[in-house]
Amino acid sequence: MSKVLIVDDEPHLRLLYETELRRAGFETMTACNAAQGLEFVETMKPDLVILDIRMAGMDGIEALQRILERDNTVPVVLNTAYSSYKDNYLTWAADAYVTKSSDVTELLDTVKDLVDARAAARN
Amino acid sequence: MDHRGFLRRRADLATAGFEAAESPMLVINPAGEIAVASKGAGIMLGLENRDLVGVALENLFIPPSSVTHCGADGHCNTSMLRQLQVRHTGGDVIPVEVQCSPFTAYYEGDGAREESDRPNHCLMLLADIRKRDQEDQIRAARLAKLSLLNQVSEALYGANLTLDQILEAVLICMTAGQGLRFNRAFLLLVNEADDELKGEIAIGPSNADEASRIWQDLADQPGDLFEMMTSYDQSIKQTDVAVNEIVRNMILPLDDVENILIRVMADRHVLRVRGDTTMSGVDTIRRWLGCSEFAVAPLTTRAGSIGVIVADNAISGAEISDLDLEFLQMFANQSAGAIENSRLYRELEQRLLDLRRAHQKQKDDQETLMRMERLSVMGETSAIVAHELRNPLVAIGGFARTLMRNLDESDSNRQFADIISSEVARMETIIHDLLDFIRPKKRLRKEVVVDQIVGEAADRFQAELEGKGVRLEMDLKTDGLTLDLHPGEIQQVVQNYIVNAMQAQPDGGRIEVRSRLVEGGARIEVRDGGPGFADDVGEKLFSPFFSTKTTGSGLGLTICAQIIKSHGGITGAMNNPEGGAVFSFILPLPRNAPNP
Repeated sequence: MSKVLIVDDEPHLRLLYETELRRAGFETMTACNAAQGLEFVETMKPDLVILDIRMAGMDGIEALQRILERDNTVPVVLNTAYSSYKDNYLTWAADAYVTKSSDVTELLDTVKDLVDARAAARN
Repeated sequence: MDHRGFLRRRADLATAGFEAAESPMLVINPAGEIAVASKGAGIMLGLENRDLVGVALENLFIPPSSVTHCGADGHCNTSMLRQLQVRHTGGDVIPVEVQCSPFTAYYEGDGAREESDRPNHCLMLLADIRKRDQEDQIRAARLAKLSLLNQVSEALYGANLTLDQILEAVLICMTAGQGLRFNRAFLLLVNEADDELKGEIAIGPSNADEASRIWQDLADQPGDLFEMMTSYDQSIKQTDVAVNEIVRNMILPLDDVENILIRVMADRHVLRVRGDTTMSGVDTIRRWLGCSEFAVAPLTTRAGSIGVIVADNAISGAEISDLDLEFLQMFANQSAGAIENSRLYRELEQRLLDLRRAHQKQKDDQETLMRMERLSVMGETSAIVAHELRNPLVAIGGFARTLMRNLDESDSNRQFADIISSEVARMETIIHDLLDFIRPKKRLRKEVVVDQIVGEAADRFQAELEGKGVRLEMDLKTDGLTLDLHPGEIQQVVQNYIVNAMQAQPDGGRIEVRSRLVEGGARIEVRDGGPGFADDVGEKLFSPFFSTKTTGSGLGLTICAQIIKSHGGITGAMNNPEGGAVFSFILPLPRNAPNP
């Protein structure tokens, strides 16, 4: 079962994503800020990271750089309420950019695709 | 002492005095003949005064009957003024005013002395009326012209006339019958550059036929200045083509100080030119005017002379009199003041207009700024609110959907959960549209000189490279090519290449940043003196997460590739046959631009 790390400082969103990802058959773990997320990337070796951008403390863009410095093979999905970050080339290093929506279908589809692609690349 | 002898001497003295008088005076004896005549009387009648003695009155006055009522004794018994005529020996008839003063006198031994003291002699004082008429006429003309000057002054200063209207009015007054009566007038002004005296406008007929028609037209008009100006519009304007042709040719450099027109400006005094003269420039002016006699008056203001008026009587050939000159001078002064006033007024008006415009613009700018500020604050506020709402909405809507899935189809709560999720979706759409609308469309790309931004990016590393013993060489030759691009992003690529090149030579070396025009665009290269890369990795260099370095994310080159791709260009990497690696990118020219 693939492990998905959810990094978001909104507890209700973490719960929502956890609920939906589990229902979709993923194992989940959550981090409530970027620092914790970085730690979990190293210690828990997730198969994919869902990363919020605007968070108190370290933001998602900086976290993205640091995650990739440690493990540049883990797929990262940037998930934010702000579509404007798409213009920032620093976000281009992410594998996907999904705008937050109450309809989580797009997020789930993206996660599935990336996990499958990675698995395929490994085999 | 002999009383009579004394008396005789006194009479002789009185007679001598009488005879020497310049005023025309006669003493008439009882026979109606001249007894004594003054020197003035002799001059008036064209004879030596002694030759007049004995001449009968009726031979002097015409008709002779005009003095018959003086009576047999030759006097009229009245001291009334009478207008009579006398004949000059040359034949001229001179109108005279005669004042008689009868008196009584007898000669010694005159037996016929009557008892009564009835006057029997007459002292006649004669005055030549012609001369007085002439003086009266001059006085009347002077008065008329003074009145005209007054009118001109009122017209020029009172009405809000444009400069052209004033110049026109000045010339009309110069030539009109009610005005100075010159045939033609030419107005020359110092130009704006203050180096030339230049003909501006002229008025006057081009030949005698035209002149008589116009003068007749004008004579039919009432004499008010404003009406003159109106009638000018109707009658003269079409006919002054010829004089305006002349005036356009009148151009003199101000430094030709000997020239008569320039000198008149300096002397500030009116001048009449007639007959032979050696004054400089006269020949040219005569050639312009086509006549030899003309007058020049300076247009003088407190600040100095601003021009001249040239006037002549080329059509009628009449002489320019002293009186004409006197008035020309006065009139020119008046006109100069009005012209200067108009210029100052116009200048003031222009400045006022400029000031108003500037003020209006400032006001507009301020309003625009305030409106933009307001909009911007509103926009920002809405953006913040909208974003803040997004996260809770995702939670609400997301859980509503979860709830919906967890409920049985038959459960009526499922429908409620469905309503929540669809209403949240609606709100999300509204927020999305709102954010898209207020999101500033930043135009990040701009026209920049390629070599300049590449050079700047490389310069930032100068100090760091020196510290690491790496020599930076720049060879930028795209000849000032400008392209529409995002300078920050392109500089990011150049810097990324340089960092790579630096890391490839940890023990120092050289980096060359090179730019060239190539077919279809500009090619930028960063060459290093490092070991180069293995042939099989060349293609993978720009794919994500590929890095030959032990540290680093490998993201740099991927991002570089994406940046260049978004500019429509391509990235490349190769090993230099002479050693080291060459990382490059090509920025394309706009599609419709010609190849360099």
